[in-house]
Amino acid sequence: MFEVLGFEFFRNAFIAGMLASIACGIIGTYVVVRRMVAISGGISHAAFGGIGLGYYLGIDPLAGAAGFTVATALGMGLLQLRAKQQMDTLIGAVWAAGMALGILFVYLTPGFAPDLFSYLFGNILLVPRGDILLMAVLTAVIIAVVAFLYRELQAVTFDPDYAKVMNLPVEGLSLLLLVLIALTVVMLIRVVGIILVIALLTIPAAISRIHATRIWSMMLGAAALGIIFTVAGIWLSYLADVPSGATIILVSTLAYAGALGLERLRQGG
Amino acid sequence: MNTPVIEVDDVWVRLRGQTLLEGVSLKIYPDDFYAIIGPNGGGKTTLLRVILGLLTPCRGEVRINGSRDPAMRKYLGYVPQFRAFDFQYPITVREMVLSGRLGHITHRPRRYGREDHARVDETLKTMRITELADRQIQNLSGGEQQRAIIARALVSDPKVLLLDEPTVYVDAPTTVEFYDILDHLRRRMAVVLVTHDIGVLPGRVTRVACLNRRLYTHDNAEITPDMIEAAYHCPVDLIAHGVPHRILPEHPED
Repeated sequence: MFEVLGFEFFRNAFIAGMLASIACGIIGTYVVVRRMVAISGGISHAAFGGIGLGYYLGIDPLAGAAGFTVATALGMGLLQLRAKQQMDTLIGAVWAAGMALGILFVYLTPGFAPDLFSYLFGNILLVPRGDILLMAVLTAVIIAVVAFLYRELQAVTFDPDYAKVMNLPVEGLSLLLLVLIALTVVMLIRVVGIILVIALLTIPAAISRIHATRIWSMMLGAAALGIIFTVAGIWLSYLADVPSGATIILVSTLAYAGALGLERLRQGG
Repeated sequence: MNTPVIEVDDVWVRLRGQTLLEGVSLKIYPDDFYAIIGPNGGGKTTLLRVILGLLTPCRGEVRINGSRDPAMRKYLGYVPQFRAFDFQYPITVREMVLSGRLGHITHRPRRYGREDHARVDETLKTMRITELADRQIQNLSGGEQQRAIIARALVSDPKVLLLDEPTVYVDAPTTVEFYDILDHLRRRMAVVLVTHDIGVLPGRVTRVACLNRRLYTHDNAEITPDMIEAAYHCPVDLIAHGVPHRILPEHPED
């Protein structure tokens, strides 16, 4: 299997997969324990609107997606916190509107938008050098923020009411978490595509949660599992000559099913 | 005369066109063991949320230690309803109890100091859960989980302990043990207990109020039939099954 490392694009793919796994392990842990899987789905589909906007304005689609996605995440968060809107309905609306905007913007853009397919389904084998640098910076930012605010984020995700009684800035921390999710989603769009972002964000964290007793151990476990899944997925997709993003996700899903099955056997036995 | 730790002054709460609290006033003194009873949906949890600053009333105000400053909330210890918890959350007993100190930490970034850890050790000992400190909260019995939740409230040295339906999801022996703990704690702080189960009220309660949108108070530990009737809007049979400490008066003979 090591001959694939001779190709630069494979090396880049492995590095991108690792960075994505670390970021996903950390942010996905909060997504899973705070039950924010649906909102992450809404945010990632809203990102499609941002990509379309990027094409339309003639700027880097990823930059468009970043700005648009962060704004959407903040808007949803504020609506939930202030207006107490029913969240699942809101998520459904944002989800649909984001996709629709993306389609419209791309339609209105003169000429053909060449990379659209890779944003929808991702292509980890085509990650350019510059994107890897961007991912490294973002991963470092996520690690720094979480290390700095670990106790506060723990209190807010475990029991937000109690955090409020203790005068923690619950609203600010909740919005910060949504911004981190949005940034992670945007970063992952290149690697596995919008459709598959949710899986990489949730499956490693969900498996890791089964045996984790602390937030940081759940993060470490999720990051390690994510790295295993992406490396195994890329390698298998190379062997079978099939799309890598989809393979990574199927490997993860099978591992999740296996972990759930094992846990069931253990509890039953 | 000592000053009240909590003053609730003419509080009104309306949500979605419904009036949940109507002109509720209440004073809680440092030596009180105050029970607030009333039917489900009568506004008990709403009143607690107003006191805790989680809900802003549309009229009236809450003062803690005579002040409206939100920072005063650090003097409140809160034991939420059992079902409000996600026990699957990956957190150990020690981490959960430590988090109760966050309100007292003033420097940024918030880091736990030696005193915080010392207070946690002490509180774990008080609640007799020292040996469970490194377990995840999911791997505890119901009674142990409840003691861990109370420990989180106690670790900040509160002046008042507010408990929301603490005995609903625990079994009878745990309930007895729970009231023994409260008996012990009330020497150090005021205790406010909210429950819809009037059968479980222990004999040590100093004052009782009935809440059903309005608050019907009585300045001693007796529940009178007319209080209950006013609060529940129907005659209620005052029967407590197999509870050793009754505070309910005998039925009036015909």
